[in-house]
Amino acid sequence: MQNQIHSFRNFLSLGILMLMFAAFVAPVAAQSVLPPGNAVNLDDGIEEGPSNALGNLSDTEIWDIFRGGNPRDILAPTIEGQVMTTTGQQWRVIREQYILKYLGWAPLIVIGILAVFYLIRGPMKIAAGRSGKTIPRFSLSARVAHWFMAAIFIILGLTGLVILLGRVVIAPYLGLEANSVLTSAALQGHNLFGPLFIFALIWLFIKFVRGNFFQWVDLKWIFKLGGFFGGHVSSRQFNFGEKIWFWMVILVGIVISITGIIMLFPSLVEDVRWLQLSTILHAVGAVGLIAVAFGHIYIGTIGMEGSIDSMLKGEVDENWAKEHHDLWYEEVTGKSATEETEAPAKEEIS
Amino acid sequence: MSFLEFVQGPMFIFAATVFVLGALWRLVGIIKIGRKKDISPPKASAAAGFIKGNLRHFWPRGIFAKRTMVHIVGGYGFHLGLFALIFFGAYHIDFLNERILGFSWPAMPRWAFLMVSGIAFAGLIILWVRRISDPVMRLISDKDDHIGSWLTFLVMLSGCFALEQAHDILRAIHMLLVNIWLLYFPFSRLMHGFTFFLSRGSSGATYGRKGIDL
Repeated sequence: MQNQIHSFRNFLSLGILMLMFAAFVAPVAAQSVLPPGNAVNLDDGIEEGPSNALGNLSDTEIWDIFRGGNPRDILAPTIEGQVMTTTGQQWRVIREQYILKYLGWAPLIVIGILAVFYLIRGPMKIAAGRSGKTIPRFSLSARVAHWFMAAIFIILGLTGLVILLGRVVIAPYLGLEANSVLTSAALQGHNLFGPLFIFALIWLFIKFVRGNFFQWVDLKWIFKLGGFFGGHVSSRQFNFGEKIWFWMVILVGIVISITGIIMLFPSLVEDVRWLQLSTILHAVGAVGLIAVAFGHIYIGTIGMEGSIDSMLKGEVDENWAKEHHDLWYEEVTGKSATEETEAPAKEEIS
Repeated sequence: MSFLEFVQGPMFIFAATVFVLGALWRLVGIIKIGRKKDISPPKASAAAGFIKGNLRHFWPRGIFAKRTMVHIVGGYGFHLGLFALIFFGAYHIDFLNERILGFSWPAMPRWAFLMVSGIAFAGLIILWVRRISDPVMRLISDKDDHIGSWLTFLVMLSGCFALEQAHDILRAIHMLLVNIWLLYFPFSRLMHGFTFFLSRGSSGATYGRKGIDL
């Protein structure tokens, strides 16, 4: 501490010397060095302070006094009593060195994995073919809730990616002006559609929470890796993969919603570090959801024959239900999924 | 003349003229079709039936209300929201005042504008999502329905994108889409914005004349 006070005195002495130098020498310099004739003299009302106030004695200990606490601890409990906080520097490092550099790759990596998987495995066909008979799977209101969330998710995803990655992805190719226009548009759209995401999340939760809790049959799904690499996996209305996706949307969605509200209304939090943490959690959570959503879209469309019917028509083919949700099929129809699946096979053998 | 000046100047005047004349032409055409003379003696007033038919259709009967609740909430949210945005949004009032009417009226505060925008967007998305999710709605919907929905959505979205008023190009894109919407309106099912009271009134008048209690 004694060293710090000593250093601080040195700093003040140097500052006073420099001010005296500036007071005597600067007017002379102003008379001898004339600005060019076409220079514009802006009277912005800001008086220039002494330059190079620290001289060549930049003392990190002085700054440590100003900072107080541990400047690298972004979750430190309080910033009271500090002259300045440096958490913004850590926030900027996390944002620029990690989020902006690497986060955008996550959805692209997932798309790449899905493309390779599709090339190797191909689409999962209905083994017994379509029966031509359908059973109801999702009500109209459940489908509307799903597509409403999908629409809001796409709008927020696109606008959010422009806001987050525009400077590193768009600006180098289309220019700063184009990026400015796109970011301005995206920001307004993102802010306006954000509250609708909360509404969509609540609606989705109410419509789909039933049947999405853990059941013992889910253990089989986990051990057999969902049947993606062969073998039959029994499941009820939702398999374990669907349940994981549902809870991921709900829980990460809650985090995104809360952090989004904090960013929309920064005055809600007194400590600026909550705001900094919110931007990081919001970006990581949202891009994570976008990445996993590609998997959801893949399995719901080209990855699995017949699965899109459940959300487009509300009905699924009976053979699809027997193969992917056999226990649910038995619950709904009262018939045995195994017996009816085996029946055509016996005929073929005979 | 800049692109913005063009789309909110000559192009807007042209589009607005086509909108007004086209809509009038369609309405007069529908009214002029008339109907076959009913020679039976009227049991009650057709005019009262016309009004009752219009009022009665603002809410579905009995079980239909519950079965179509998503449609009702989405429909009212979108239509009332859009009406409020167009006629009580500060930007729109300023535009109408400066370019067409020459007078203005109180506008919604910004927070209300944003809230109503959210409701209108939610309503429109719900209506379109229902159109593709309901097998019957999907079958009876054609290109015109989808173009009308998407064009309206794009007009609203471009308006939302231009809210910051920092870039002329965003405002110009919004105005361009508004003009296309105005040109498309009279010749599409968007005309239901004007014809709904005629169809409801026509049914109401027919039943009213026959003395059927609506």
